[in-house]
Amino acid sequence: MQIAEHREGAATVAALEGRLDTATAPATEEKLLSLIQGGPLVADMSGVRYVSSAGLRVLLKAAKQARTKGVGFSVCGLQPAVREVFEISGFDKIIPLHATRAEALAAG
Amino acid sequence: MDIAALRHEMPPDVDALPALLDRLEAFAEAAGLSPRTTQHLTLVAEELAANVAMHAAGATMLRITVSREHDSVRLVIEDDGPAFDPLSVAGPDLDSGVETRQIGGLGVHFVRTMTRSAAYERRDGLNRVTALLDAG
Repeated sequence: MQIAEHREGAATVAALEGRLDTATAPATEEKLLSLIQGGPLVADMSGVRYVSSAGLRVLLKAAKQARTKGVGFSVCGLQPAVREVFEISGFDKIIPLHATRAEALAAG
Repeated sequence: MDIAALRHEMPPDVDALPALLDRLEAFAEAAGLSPRTTQHLTLVAEELAANVAMHAAGATMLRITVSREHDSVRLVIEDDGPAFDPLSVAGPDLDSGVETRQIGGLGVHFVRTMTRSAAYERRDGLNRVTALLDAG
């Protein structure tokens, strides 16, 4: 899993690339949670071809921590196969999803 | 008759999962599976294998066999840990919000949702889960 950070005003965009799975979840979680300490975060997942339940757990933790801190957290750019995983798990209803990075940043 | 088959043995360790996923993706490409079927196959295999790697104290090996048979993909996952039926785990509460949502049971929910059938048996000292997926 590669994670590239971009500052966009007050927000950070974390561009993820690779698989978000059992093996990559711990390092990804550590990174996303530390970024949320700094303010609003958008996870751009257009480079993620695969997400398992371990990966969803990371995103859920990030969403919970963002809510606790009172900062925004959203996800954008889901590939179709990954979107289906969100829908089957019901995560499309509990994590804000946007089509593009620009839409995610505009939504705050 | 099998058109394509994969047999992969690995230690029941999380560190060994990426190599399994690499092999499943390569198999799916060689077998001409769609991205959707590839995702389903890889996900079901990872959830079941990760379950053994993280929870089956005493297991020393995991064996994954995949074969494409006409319009189906057959996935068999075996381990030599204590008898345990992963399909007996309760599914998640899909309606709870971000505050209360628990992650438990999500793996088996994917297995149930993404397979045509999934069955557990204990045979010859091994746990064996056999799953059939639609080959798209």
